[in-house]
Amino acid sequence: MRRLASRLARPSTLTLLAGAALWLWAAYALWHSTASVPQGPDLSPDRFFSSAFLDRSASYERFLTIDGLLAIVVLIGVLAVYARRGDRLMGESAAGRVGTGMLLGMLGFGVVWLAELPFGLAAVWWQRDHGVSHQGYLEWAVESFLGLGGTFLFVAAALAIAMGLAGPLRRWWWLAAVPAFVGLALLFAFLSPYLVPNTSDLHNPQLAEAQALERVEGVKGTRFAVEDVDRFTTAPNAEATGLGPTRTVILWNTLLSNDFSRAEVRAVLGHEIAHIAHDDPLKQVGWLALFLIPAAGLVELFTRRRGGMARPEAVPVALLVLVAFQLLATPMFNLVTRRAEASADWSSLEATHEPAVARAMFRRLSTTSHGSPDPPGWTALLYGSHPTIMQRIEMTYAWERSHRP
Amino acid sequence: MDGVETRPVRLVVSDDLQRGRGSVFFRLWFAIPFILWLTLWGIAAFFVAIANWFATLFKGTSPRALHGFLARFVRFAVHTYAFLYLAAEPLPGFGGRPGYPIDIEIDPPVRQNRWKVGFRFVLVVPALILLGAFFGTGGGFSGTSEGETGRLGLLVAAAFLAWFFALARARMPRGLRDLIAYGLSYAAQAWAYMTLLTDRYPCSDPLTAIGPLPVREDPIRLESSDDLRRNRLTVFFRLLLAIPHLIWLVLWGIAAFFAAVGNWFAILFTGIAPAGLHRFLAAYTRYQQHVFAYLYVIANPFPGFTGERGSYPIEIRIAERAPQNRWTVGFRLVLALPALLLGTAYGSLLFAVALLGWFASLFTGTMPLGLRNAGALALRYSAQLYGYLFLLTDAYPYSGPNVAPPPLTADPSIAFPPRSA
Repeated sequence: MRRLASRLARPSTLTLLAGAALWLWAAYALWHSTASVPQGPDLSPDRFFSSAFLDRSASYERFLTIDGLLAIVVLIGVLAVYARRGDRLMGESAAGRVGTGMLLGMLGFGVVWLAELPFGLAAVWWQRDHGVSHQGYLEWAVESFLGLGGTFLFVAAALAIAMGLAGPLRRWWWLAAVPAFVGLALLFAFLSPYLVPNTSDLHNPQLAEAQALERVEGVKGTRFAVEDVDRFTTAPNAEATGLGPTRTVILWNTLLSNDFSRAEVRAVLGHEIAHIAHDDPLKQVGWLALFLIPAAGLVELFTRRRGGMARPEAVPVALLVLVAFQLLATPMFNLVTRRAEASADWSSLEATHEPAVARAMFRRLSTTSHGSPDPPGWTALLYGSHPTIMQRIEMTYAWERSHRP
Repeated sequence: MDGVETRPVRLVVSDDLQRGRGSVFFRLWFAIPFILWLTLWGIAAFFVAIANWFATLFKGTSPRALHGFLARFVRFAVHTYAFLYLAAEPLPGFGGRPGYPIDIEIDPPVRQNRWKVGFRFVLVVPALILLGAFFGTGGGFSGTSEGETGRLGLLVAAAFLAWFFALARARMPRGLRDLIAYGLSYAAQAWAYMTLLTDRYPCSDPLTAIGPLPVREDPIRLESSDDLRRNRLTVFFRLLLAIPHLIWLVLWGIAAFFAAVGNWFAILFTGIAPAGLHRFLAAYTRYQQHVFAYLYVIANPFPGFTGERGSYPIEIRIAERAPQNRWTVGFRLVLALPALLLGTAYGSLLFAVALLGWFASLFTGTMPLGLRNAGALALRYSAQLYGYLFLLTDAYPYSGPNVAPPPLTADPSIAFPPRSA
């Protein structure tokens, strides 16, 4: 007991405890910065969807879930092997400490891409089979390969920062690296609307409706754009992105052409504008910062045996730790995003006052994307960045109940 | 090493570089009858080549009569292009007989591997791609898909520049003549391979294409210690792995541009580059070529980000700063225009080398020596061009293949080329 007390009294332990308390306080504050939404009545999906559709969508999602899980197993397996043997590739570099680390980092993700390619192709086959995707296999593979360039760039930049700081700061590099990464994340969030390809401005009548909703939700100066995606997919989607002057709501053109009614599109717009009104893109960076602190600390801990992050041979281990941490943290992160999405749904109802339209829209979202409206709880936990369609439908009833005179 | 003397199709250069101005001025017109005759002969050669394919497939060796006919045709094609592109002075004969200043020797028919004969039309595709880099649009009697994209052919660009020079000086520059001869050497090998005169694959090595090369002590030169080994994984992702370098190259390039402008003013006033600017621009030029060497699979390891001297297997040696002629400094941009044109054409060669080298390295784990040296030649020209533009030297880029003098320090790692393949 005395030994425990003396350990707790050490300055490093005290600092760690204080840091943990600060972290918890920040997480608590961030969590409560998003309003919670009342739960709706427990309804059966049979009321809204045919049993044939429910069976079909369950089977559709089951395949994708299994495919995704296998891809995760392969990902971890490949990275585990890479963590043991990846340092052999150091001979392929003439770039010094940091450059070699960058090469190892990029190659790690390259190997992962190669290993996951069959699973990606299987998912494309399944989506094509269900008419959700139009993309050819080669087209998908080439696009995915080129998209890997963005990952490489991100990994190279992150490693340049981490390893650059690990040189002079040794074990404490992560304390400086986390603010640097957060700064980069802020920059990325700020620039992200400009990084979306094939966009054009939204036009009337939807634009006028969007601007009216903006006024109702107390937001100003949002840009509204349409992204052309119908070449690849029939699935509808939308997103709110950007910070401050770059805040943008982007609607996929499948949403405008996929026989969604104007009222339904208005419900989607209300939801995305709510994200802007709630500062969700900024809060996401906040959550990222919170998750980065333990992630970077764990990387530092696990790479010590390889000489710490200053050494390129530590990079394969760092990749494994980071990806494993990310996988473990995903359910928690999903919890956060589900709360933000539910809150945006609620705000959209507050702005449109059209719960029946929202129900129709959610129903159509499910049928056009073949998504299961009521997936098993564990898949929702692992993959569900949004509330399930049934939860969203139920929420519309909760809203109706709360606004009944 | 695949030396010129061991190849079944060899280029023999006996040209003395002297040119008549009248002959140069009207070269295109003088060449018209030869081009027409080449076209007619080409139609006949096409059918003879098909007959030769069947005959070689059944007999295992090319019949002497067909071999002789096609050899004469290939020789005539080389004579015609040598004349058209100013690599030689006299009018060629119409019979494709030996004795022209740019000539080829072709070995008599030998037994060929039937599998290689059977699939020759597939196997020849990489050679045609490289040929496209030499001839560009509409070049060669092979007709290449590369030509259809409108790329500037290396030989066409060299001939275009040579026309002005020869007209002014009544003399063909050695570099341009050797460059054209190099291209024709490759073309002759490719045509001979295509028409089944030989089953030896065309070699694109500029160092062994045309016999002895000039030994030059240029202030900017390339030295290689590359061992031709390539890592398949890094080759597969080469384009993506180069992205951080390309971004850094652009950022550094912006600074280099302003440094070059500053250098221009400084040299114009003082006659010599400030040491700091010279060092900065030399490092950038070195780094740029390291990145290109990596991107185009001419070297294997991931390069560093600083352009450090001696840090890379494809090394650009840049001489210390020296006084420069202020007139050539003042008009540097104008003077560099011909070199820029040739640099663009060299870019076509570099692209073809990268494409073919990527596949070869991915499948065999080794970069073919000929392709590596062809790429190194293009890189050396690029380094000299940028060195000239950045005022690191007032020596004009040397357009042809050459060999560097042995280094003063007996460093065995700086040999070029290091080993045969």
